[in-house]
Amino acid sequence: MTFLQSILFSILLLQLYFVNSNGNDEEFTEELLLKPLPDRKVFAHFHFDTKTPPSKTYGHHHRLFPKAIYQLVQKFRIREMELSFTQGRWNYERWGAFDPMSSSNAKPPGVELWAVFDVSSDQVDANWKNLTQTLSGLFCASINFLESSTAYSAPAWGFRTFSGKLRYGALPREAVCTENLTPWLKLLPCRDKAGLASILDRPSIYKGFYHSQRLRLRSNEFSLDVSAEEPGIVLEQTLTVVLQPQSQDTRSIYSDGRLLHPSWSISSIFGRAVTGRCVLANLSTIFVELESGLVSGLSNLSVDLEAGRLGAYDLGSEGSWSNQGFELSVKPDRVIKEVNSSQGKSFSILYEYSVDKFDDNEPFDLGFIWKLPVAWSCLHSPFHASRFLMGSGNQRGSIAISLRSTGSSGEGFINGGGIVGDVCKVRVDIFQVVPWYVKVYFHTLQVYVDGKPELLKDILEKMHVSPSEDRVSPGVMEMILKFPCSVKSASIVIDFDKGFLHIDEYPPDANQGFDIPSAVISFPDFEPSMNFLDENSSTKSPMLLKLQEKNPVISYTEILLVPLATPDFSMPYNVITITCTVFALYFGSLLNALRRRVGEEERFLKSKAVNQTRLLPRLLAKLRGKQQEPTQSSPSSSSSPLGPKLIIKIILVAGVAIGWHYYTE
Amino acid sequence: MAENSETQNPTEPLPKMDEEFDPKTMRKTKPGIKRLIMILTVLSSFILGFPFLLKTIEIYRSPLPFHDIDSLSKTLQSNPLLIPCRFQVIYLGFDAAKKLDEQKLGFMINEQMVKLTGGNPICGGCGNDYTVSVTVDSSNVCNRSLNVENSCFWRCGSIDLSGNLNGNDEEIDEMLYSVLRGNENCESSGGKVYSVVVLNKEDDDVDGFRVVVGKYRHAWLVGKLEGIGAVSSIANVFVKFFMNGGKEEGISKNEFMPVGADGRVVLSFSLLNANPQDWVYDWDFRKIDEDLLAPVVEALAPIANLTVESQVLYHTPKSSFSSWDAKLSSYVFRTKDLPFFVNSNEWHLDTSIAAGGRSKVLQFVVYIPSSEECPLRLQLPSGKLSTTNGFISPMWGGVIVWNPPRCFRSSKNMQPQKYTLTSEDLEELLEVSLGQLRQLFGLKSNNLYVGESGMSNVLSSDRGFTEWELDALSRQHTCFNLHSCATTLGSLSRLVQSLPRMIIKDEIGKQVKFSLEAANLAQTNTSRGSYKASAVSSRQARALAEDAFFHPSIMSISYYSFEHCFAVYTPFFLPVALHVLLAAAKEWRRYKQERTKYFMWISKKKVE
Repeated sequence: MTFLQSILFSILLLQLYFVNSNGNDEEFTEELLLKPLPDRKVFAHFHFDTKTPPSKTYGHHHRLFPKAIYQLVQKFRIREMELSFTQGRWNYERWGAFDPMSSSNAKPPGVELWAVFDVSSDQVDANWKNLTQTLSGLFCASINFLESSTAYSAPAWGFRTFSGKLRYGALPREAVCTENLTPWLKLLPCRDKAGLASILDRPSIYKGFYHSQRLRLRSNEFSLDVSAEEPGIVLEQTLTVVLQPQSQDTRSIYSDGRLLHPSWSISSIFGRAVTGRCVLANLSTIFVELESGLVSGLSNLSVDLEAGRLGAYDLGSEGSWSNQGFELSVKPDRVIKEVNSSQGKSFSILYEYSVDKFDDNEPFDLGFIWKLPVAWSCLHSPFHASRFLMGSGNQRGSIAISLRSTGSSGEGFINGGGIVGDVCKVRVDIFQVVPWYVKVYFHTLQVYVDGKPELLKDILEKMHVSPSEDRVSPGVMEMILKFPCSVKSASIVIDFDKGFLHIDEYPPDANQGFDIPSAVISFPDFEPSMNFLDENSSTKSPMLLKLQEKNPVISYTEILLVPLATPDFSMPYNVITITCTVFALYFGSLLNALRRRVGEEERFLKSKAVNQTRLLPRLLAKLRGKQQEPTQSSPSSSSSPLGPKLIIKIILVAGVAIGWHYYTE
Repeated sequence: MAENSETQNPTEPLPKMDEEFDPKTMRKTKPGIKRLIMILTVLSSFILGFPFLLKTIEIYRSPLPFHDIDSLSKTLQSNPLLIPCRFQVIYLGFDAAKKLDEQKLGFMINEQMVKLTGGNPICGGCGNDYTVSVTVDSSNVCNRSLNVENSCFWRCGSIDLSGNLNGNDEEIDEMLYSVLRGNENCESSGGKVYSVVVLNKEDDDVDGFRVVVGKYRHAWLVGKLEGIGAVSSIANVFVKFFMNGGKEEGISKNEFMPVGADGRVVLSFSLLNANPQDWVYDWDFRKIDEDLLAPVVEALAPIANLTVESQVLYHTPKSSFSSWDAKLSSYVFRTKDLPFFVNSNEWHLDTSIAAGGRSKVLQFVVYIPSSEECPLRLQLPSGKLSTTNGFISPMWGGVIVWNPPRCFRSSKNMQPQKYTLTSEDLEELLEVSLGQLRQLFGLKSNNLYVGESGMSNVLSSDRGFTEWELDALSRQHTCFNLHSCATTLGSLSRLVQSLPRMIIKDEIGKQVKFSLEAANLAQTNTSRGSYKASAVSSRQARALAEDAFFHPSIMSISYYSFEHCFAVYTPFFLPVALHVLLAAAKEWRRYKQERTKYFMWISKKKVE
């Protein structure tokens, strides 16, 4: 009976599967990619994908697709949108810059949002403003600061190619924390209650070196072109973290001085193990990637990486899987090898694990144990880009973008660089937004190639500039530069003046300075992608598809911190006070002068002069007591024209004069 | 000192014109007023300039019609909104021989209704402003108690008694509707007409009579009837159903309507799978939306703008505990657990992004328990199990617990079974939900009414709400809206008056003005008895009042405090004012002193 049931059930499942594969139903997949990094860290990338068919055929009631996102798409007519919250900066030199994973998942610190709307171009701004407010409420973040027209820009072609309907904004200083993660997790059908997301232990993921949660939306709900291959709305949620595994291994230093990489397991880096899949997921997979550098490093040590696939090498009783270089505590279901890689002979290897067969009693806790010390480096982008400020003082400065050729990808130039005539050229696109109070002078743009100044017209192929307008819009600079392949280093320098802000435009902590969002540097000649010999596999993993997509190499530069002149915030009141005091003094003395009676005063003074001659001796008497009483009886002494008082006065004045003279000398 | 001055006097070189003149106490010339005038001019210009200064530092405040706001709330408080209704009673099948006196019957019914309403009219009811017309229509006689235009009331002989009245209730209802449909156009001329048809069936075996309230604006009494015996029943139908919408305790003034301030309601349906590891249920909500909910949305359109949305959520355990009851062989939660049933931490039902603004979201939750608490039933305080297995929370929505047909789960099966709710189950669930919606609107959810005067049958409409219920709701809604508008405007005017330095933009002034206009329009429409127009304009009045009250500029901190103003102007005005005042006081004192001196001299001279 049970056998029959199970057969029936499997038929049911099969039917379900076929229904799903037709693309007529909502789909949810969860995937996790783990990768050891050259600098002893571990890269983890969660990828959740939710799809829904278009509402024209499917209606607007969903069982998996989050209602909030569907309504967002419908209300603001979004064609494409990406929102990322990032903490920490992606280390392009150590963690890779040339693989599809890093060029699409490395994001600038803080919040970055861009969206393409499917409305007429005069409504785009209004939709953007409402969208920022809604997202701000949805994700508990201050995305609403992107509402002001000084905070966002409309790149023409430098960022992505959507004419006129794209808006881009970034908040470099936004802090990212659990209050942003919880609403993000709420969009998943199983939240963090089950499935891969359940290992997202907040303290361990926020302890990492890099943390980026991303939400990407694609919809063709409103496009007239029905023939598009992926109808409906696709919501792609990814979370990328770089964590440091704790190495308990004491014998990590080998005899030849090389360091053994720390071994790790899912529970040691996240603090939890995977307890089964989310039951609503069509696909629940974990991949372990060995990147091409590591693979070639291991093969130099004559480690047979495909041994497990052949099933010949040391199959442990607990299902552990090991070779000379490392050991995986669970035997992978499948080993996927990259083929036809653009990076010469080396290729990367993916070990695939399906989470289906694990549950609470038997949690999936994959361990990765190193046996041999291996040193490798990741793939570098053709140039390493960095941006810094030059100059000092509160008046002016300059922004420099420096591109340093990474020698390792010399062959990449030949492969990727467009060869025009005989000269090999590398194309570099730069997109940079500066706030209005950093007043950039575009005529000061200078390009240095290998330290020597070059004529701009030799290098610059295309440039689009929209100058900033005070308190209205930021300055946008989009450039296409072409450098000769042989270039070692290049720098682009542009001068700016620092503007003055109103006293009420300063943020609460005005002395900290102002952030200039990251510039986007892309290399459209290089489109790294991975190719897998994967035609026979029935399941189409969105993450593997993503890895196979061709996208240009993108890197974000550092955020700049510009100190602006900070006013004394009590100054207006001080000015008011001193002006008023001067006015009041003037007014008072004017009034006194008007009511003065000169004749009467003279008379009064005269009578007083008579009185006053007696006043002093009496005061003196008071001071000396009764001792001097007899002097009081001789009023005549005071009436003498050259009394001692007068002499004292003269001496005093003379002394002051001498002192003054002496002091000024 | 006096001694001293005495000794000094002879030596002083004073001008001695004569012996009597003392320069300390007298003067010969009139004291000058040049300086006094000067200083007084300065002082008075300061005082006169002060209002100008205040004017220049004044902030812009749009003038609000405080008086009109006060008068609106006063009129609404002193005389509740009365919406005229008209009633007619039609006696059919009574022999002329019985000699029913229609005038007397009309009077009796009216008296009975006054007794039932209790004399003090309620807001949104028909108040005392109603008319009852009685028509006796027998084969040859047609008597009418009131002389009104024919089109709105019963036309005699429009029904053939013999054949038509033997069908079931639904058929009779439709038949009566086809006859009485002419009333539809009468709204503008003094309110809708509600009818009770009294059918005398002598040939019935059963004693007594049956009361059936139809789906439209009529009810009928059928059975063996004495002409006068039915009076209390008729009055009861009029008051309890047609006036109060079938509510037990009538309509109280402060009752909340679950309608958002912008007149929109979002019905958010959520299917909660407490633990999807056990089983996963899904529903075809698109079908429900199109087939079952669309008529309800349409029916409620005059009262509120309804939108429907749905979602399915997983991993949503309830937060209260339930216990196993062996006798009932089910897990039981009791009414005292209900406040803790809704798990606001895990049930992220969410407000709607699509609705936005100030619309009201009513949550309807279908909860599917996990295998650990299945079947889960609600036990009433009486010990019986609830038939609907659901409950409502006023102004929030309703919860229904739906138990899967099979409560055990084969533990070996890793994969949870996926099901879709059948359409029968869905219809059942939706019926309960509609009942909950009716309860949220304050109506009764079952169609059997037991009152003091026997049982009445209420026919339910497939749109969820009958015509007379909708009428009562829209009357009540008008009243509620106007009250809410008046309170909001009152609060706004109090707020504005209490903060004299708050900036009020023109837009707010305009919104307040339009809101008052809409409220007045609603009041006039009400008195004319047109329900729909008054509901619409009252909704508008409320929405505008709320808009004005929640205008972003009111919330902002742009309000410029008096302390600030004081701090800016004090450094100038305080020292200057000190100077001016002191100088004025001194001059005035001096002038007085000198004048007395002068007068003394004058008097002395006169004496001489």
